[in-house]
Amino acid sequence: MTHCLLCHQELHPQMTLAQFWRWQPLPVPVVCPRCEQQFERITTMHCPQCGRQQTSLAVCHDCERWGDVPLRNHAVYTYNEAMKAYMQQYKFQGDYALRQVMMEPLKQALAQQDYDVLVPIPVNQETWQTRGFNQVTGWLLNQPFQQALLVTADHKDQPQSAKTRQQRLLTQQPFSLAPNAATVLKDRRILLLDDVYTTGRTLRHAAAQIYLGGAKAVTSLTLAR
Amino acid sequence: MSDEQNLFGRQLPLASGPANSNSRPAIVTIGQRRQCQRCHQWLLPTDQLPNRAWYCRQCLQLGRLTSQNKLYTIPEPNRFVRMKGPILTWPGKLSPTQGAAATAILDLARQRRNQLLWAVTGAGKTEIVYPALAWALAQNWRVAWVSPRVDVCLELAPRLQQAFGHVPQTLLHGKQKAPYQYCQLTLCTTHQLLRFHAAFDWIIVDEVDAFPLATSPLLKTAIATAQKPTGSHLYLTATPGEQLQRQVRQKKVAVTYLPLRYHGVLLPQISVCLIWRWRERLAKGRLDPKLIRQLQNYQQRGQRFLLFVPHVIDLKPVAQALQQAGIVGGLTVHATDNDRAAKVQAMRDRTIPFLITTTILERGVTFPNIAVIVLGGDDPVFSTAALVQIAGRAGRHRDFPTGAVTVYCHSQSRRVRLAQRMIAQLNRQGKRLGGRQQ
Ligand SMILES: [Zn+2]
Ligand SMILES: [Zn+2]
Ligand SMILES: [Zn+2]
Repeated sequence: MTHCLLCHQELHPQMTLAQFWRWQPLPVPVVCPRCEQQFERITTMHCPQCGRQQTSLAVCHDCERWGDVPLRNHAVYTYNEAMKAYMQQYKFQGDYALRQVMMEPLKQALAQQDYDVLVPIPVNQETWQTRGFNQVTGWLLNQPFQQALLVTADHKDQPQSAKTRQQRLLTQQPFSLAPNAATVLKDRRILLLDDVYTTGRTLRHAAAQIYLGGAKAVTSLTLAR
Repeated sequence: MSDEQNLFGRQLPLASGPANSNSRPAIVTIGQRRQCQRCHQWLLPTDQLPNRAWYCRQCLQLGRLTSQNKLYTIPEPNRFVRMKGPILTWPGKLSPTQGAAATAILDLARQRRNQLLWAVTGAGKTEIVYPALAWALAQNWRVAWVSPRVDVCLELAPRLQQAFGHVPQTLLHGKQKAPYQYCQLTLCTTHQLLRFHAAFDWIIVDEVDAFPLATSPLLKTAIATAQKPTGSHLYLTATPGEQLQRQVRQKKVAVTYLPLRYHGVLLPQISVCLIWRWRERLAKGRLDPKLIRQLQNYQQRGQRFLLFVPHVIDLKPVAQALQQAGIVGGLTVHATDNDRAAKVQAMRDRTIPFLITTTILERGVTFPNIAVIVLGGDDPVFSTAALVQIAGRAGRHRDFPTGAVTVYCHSQSRRVRLAQRMIAQLNRQGKRLGGRQQ
């Protein structure tokens, strides 16, 4: 018997007739329906720049403040209490097994994006040693990606939430290009992948470097906004 | 507090420890498998990180342990500060039946026997332990009083503080912000015992049958590890599970019975009321008229009550249906409710007339003069033990020793019948000790 990764209740997978006729291996559920419902999917009604859920298709107030540094981000889920708790356990407590919870939703979201090369936001060396994994690549199943970015400054040393908005906006460019970046990026459409879009500062820094590497276009996808 | 004291009888992952500390790897490989040395659970073959380290998922809440960690400890030296007064400062007096139980427990503790106090809800089991605890502290024993339920610990802390006024005490639980203190008497949740290693001469396990201890091998190991090899433990409960009852029959655990409440009045029996398809009705925003009438009656008489519902998702519709019927002023509460403590306190202070709650308030909390109603008592979340505990919320106070317990069900349930039978059986034994009918 398998148990829900989040609430530990027993899972009783129910097969629908449609799934039965599909003739392909079914995605094995890892969380129970009740836990799954706690995550709010973002609908098509979102900010065209940051991807946040709203009631119109207009550029949101936060994005307007960025002025002429546009970004095209999509986010899968709203950053609500359930997502906060999930990120807390996965990323900060370091429960690597929880990567499975988001593998399938992220796979579907990636399939809807138009891009040539996937570039996940990296973690710094110290985080890699203590946490033991990169929370973003943890979600990838077997989608190919390129580690075209390196972290030079410790941009994620303290959790983003511990900084004020002002501090977050002022952080220095933390990324540099990997040695092979130019060959990977030249004239390609790049999709950046990150966990949470908070202010957009991290993604804007990353995008700037990717453009320097010769990319034709840069868009991004985050799990939450 | 010195770094040394921090490690007395504990097992903590540190970068390095003092010279007189011992350390051992946090995760060890035994054959093909890996075992966590803090919680003694086995890792799965998938519990490896990309940096090659292994980690334990079972005790993650206490901070992640990986194969890169070492656990540090200093063997428990029982080095406590001298007490500046008498050990037991409790002003109360035990009844003759309580006194007899207290003596029995003290004798078994002296013999370092593992034991169970099987006492009905409202028997005053906490106070019954006081004489044995005072003796243990006088022997310079290190003692832990633990419970699977944080509410039980929180309610107990001020009582122990008062009863053992000169004994340094510390309270540990998951949300505790205050730093750890090395004390002779530790009050904590069973989870916190995972941070101890051969520390305690005596462990008192309060509400031993409560979730999650009853079902968790991890927490049972926690007690075994935190106890010294020469130590022993005392289980306290009103409703021992099947496994514990078997250990009693096999004489692996010595037992002291107390089938009578401290005020001498027998336990309130559960009355069952069938309400067909209440769930469908609730989905339409309504509750059964029988239930509504009963609660309206309570509210008119100023009778305060606890209404138990099976699940968190039932709280809101039930509260709304009551409001429709003019039954207002109460609050809802559940396990992960941020205002849980404040709401329980409001009920205790009599500032609100009722609480709608999940099984989280089934034990450990005492409100004087309360009526108890269970909606959906045939739902599997209400185990026989839970129902006996819930019924035991009523009639606990000396001045209000009687109380009504009504269980509303869609259909007859075996668990409800067994709960009634258990109460009847305890009352038969209580009568023999001179118990009075309600
Ligand atoms: Zn779940
Ligand atoms: Zn926006
Ligand atoms: Zn463990």
